[in-house]
Amino acid sequence: MTDQPTAFERFTQGILPENPVYRQLLGLCPVLAVTNSMQGAMTMAGAVLFVLLCANVIISLIRDLLKPHLRIVIFTLTIATFVTIVDRFLAAYMYQMSKSLGPYIPLIIVNCIIICRCEVCASKQSVLTAASDAIGQSLGFALALASIASVREILGTGMFFGFRVLPKMWPDWVIMVLPPGAFLTFGLLLGAVNWVVAKKKANG
Amino acid sequence: MNTSQQTVPDSKNRLKDLFIFQAWLVLLLASFFGAALAGIQLTLSPKIEANKLNETLEKVPELILGADAAQAFIDKNRQMEIDRQFIEAGKKIYSVFQAKTNGQTAGWVVKSSGQGYAGKIELLIGVDAKSEEITGLFILDQKETPGLGNKIMESVWRKQFINKSTQQQLTAVKTKAAAPNEINAITGATISSKSVCGIVNQSLENLRQPLASAALNNQNPSDNQPNNNQEKK
Amino acid sequence: MSDTNLKKQSLPNKIKPDETGEAPVIQVGHSPHLSNESFTTRRMMIDVLIALLPVVGMSVYIFQLYAVKQMVICLVACLAAEAAFIKMRNKSFSLSDCSAAVTGIILGLSLPATAPWYVGVIASVVAIGIGKVIFGGLGMNLFNPAMVGRAFVMIAFAGLMAASGYESLHTGIDAITQATPLNAFKQMGISTSIKDLFFGLTNGSPGETSALACLVGGIYLCIRRTASWEIPAGIIAIVLIMGGLADLMGSASDWTVLHHLFSGSLLFGAFFIATDPVSSPLTAKGKFIFGAGIGFFIMILRFFSGYPEGVMFAVLLMNALTPLLNRWTIPAAMGE
Repeated sequence: MTDQPTAFERFTQGILPENPVYRQLLGLCPVLAVTNSMQGAMTMAGAVLFVLLCANVIISLIRDLLKPHLRIVIFTLTIATFVTIVDRFLAAYMYQMSKSLGPYIPLIIVNCIIICRCEVCASKQSVLTAASDAIGQSLGFALALASIASVREILGTGMFFGFRVLPKMWPDWVIMVLPPGAFLTFGLLLGAVNWVVAKKKANG
Repeated sequence: MNTSQQTVPDSKNRLKDLFIFQAWLVLLLASFFGAALAGIQLTLSPKIEANKLNETLEKVPELILGADAAQAFIDKNRQMEIDRQFIEAGKKIYSVFQAKTNGQTAGWVVKSSGQGYAGKIELLIGVDAKSEEITGLFILDQKETPGLGNKIMESVWRKQFINKSTQQQLTAVKTKAAAPNEINAITGATISSKSVCGIVNQSLENLRQPLASAALNNQNPSDNQPNNNQEKK
Repeated sequence: MSDTNLKKQSLPNKIKPDETGEAPVIQVGHSPHLSNESFTTRRMMIDVLIALLPVVGMSVYIFQLYAVKQMVICLVACLAAEAAFIKMRNKSFSLSDCSAAVTGIILGLSLPATAPWYVGVIASVVAIGIGKVIFGGLGMNLFNPAMVGRAFVMIAFAGLMAASGYESLHTGIDAITQATPLNAFKQMGISTSIKDLFFGLTNGSPGETSALACLVGGIYLCIRRTASWEIPAGIIAIVLIMGGLADLMGSASDWTVLHHLFSGSLLFGAFFIATDPVSSPLTAKGKFIFGAGIGFFIMILRFFSGYPEGVMFAVLLMNALTPLLNRWTIPAAMGE
């Protein structure tokens, strides 16, 4: 266990150095699908935080009982349960948001970030480490979603979080709220991140 | 467990090898999670169902009275009594909401849908009690092109339908609408505009008669019965 | 046939050493493997600019200042974007190959004359940035840069760029008050006379209206072998076949195969857009298939899609298939 990162390391790694979206390229389906508005993106980030935190804690609690060949089944079972809870909860208390996010909340089940964290961290480390790992990774995910969604929402609608930030005469770039805008924005931002990382490495 | 299997191959370990025994944790978790989900579903499903219905019900006053009057109506703390019913007409079953104020039919809201340019358009049509005029139009769901076709959702465009007679076929025209049955098509989205007109035309053609007669039948018996939704002020 | 491939041979040779400079590049192409030094990128691009003269002339005649304004905006924005991106990538600064100028002019000719200034600017920056530089500069791009830029603004500003965006009542120019011929036909079944379509006295993008001007410039390009004749030949052949079949099937409309040929941006696209040497196949056979595919998609889009015209999407679709066409049509080596 000595070579495993500590709880604090897990937390900080998830935010930037091992950002799930920009560095690991995981969970790209919601990254592309729900980032046309900040509200949707942040709801998605919150849902992922809840699911990841709960799944990591549960898996970490039962980590000594896991059998290697049955662990994936248990991961999936746990994740699916919490995703269903989030889905029902949104439908009950945030009906419009749940309608606009559509199938992407249920699709958190197949979001690789979560099963990856269960496998990499929660099934091997203590509850505290697993929880801080979940929070760190979720924050990294939220940051990534926010970066893409703010570009798309501002250019596409002239608004941010539903509030107008650009003058009314701003011509909305409709393409930015459509799927091509997601690919373009994500591609350009990913390129920028890689450029920064490469530059940092070159400087030592 | 694997090491004990090889050293002591007795019947006890054969039992341990059974899949069902290995999966005890899976089974336990599955039943536990299943129960938890069932509980959540039981608690939340009434609220979710209500949300689905409310989405339509909330729009009813506005669709029948118009936006300003509906706001005034709600501000005065008045309520509409809304009955949901299903009417079969023209081979389709329509979900129709009868709105009553003080026991009198104030109007009807018809939920209808049809094919748009890019997908299904779902909309609500408000008509007056005798179903002679359209009193409102609301788009519940659509998948039209953003920036073009989805302008059917904007109230400026939808307002054109208000006060149109239900006796005529509405048409979307590209030039300035002149005749009483003409609607200005959205520039660049003629197909979406025409689809909405088509859905409205077809629904009203099917429902005009049934609604008008239903309103007549309903008025007499309920006239003298006091209603719990009367003005509370 | 081998002559037409000369320039294909010379083009990458001219570009790659100073663009990439590192790893050796294996050229795909067939004999004769000669390099004709007079066939430089710059000469080709200047040829294209010369060929565009009649088109530019016609567009200025019909759309007057609006066409001039749109072309100047796109030209300046393209050159500025090229300069900025070259600088960003620490490459030697050179606009003298004129390729950015060609992209700018073609873009200016293919946008609605009345579109606001920012449409041209955004289209230009996207064309150069996302259409070209991101792939590694001229010679590396998969798609025709001008069409990438145009597709971007077409979706971004759907209201300004859709067929109805071409109509405006306040310009004082007759052509702009009408619907574009293809849209008039698609929406209302009104067909425009062949004569108007041929000379170009109709509404549309500035560059596309005059079939005559496109033919004159296009034939010049083919004679100079700057454009490969196989591509426009493939497009026109398929349009004639499919349009002819539609005629024979007896659709009662008076929109004939000639209307299909002379309307919209078909000829402008066939001679000036599809023939971009970078994003079209290398071999003669591949070029013909490429042209035929564009013609096919244009007709499919015109017949069945919600858009009245399909040249832009057809070209982009076939651009995506270009690497595949190159692979399929590699000629057998001598003796095999």
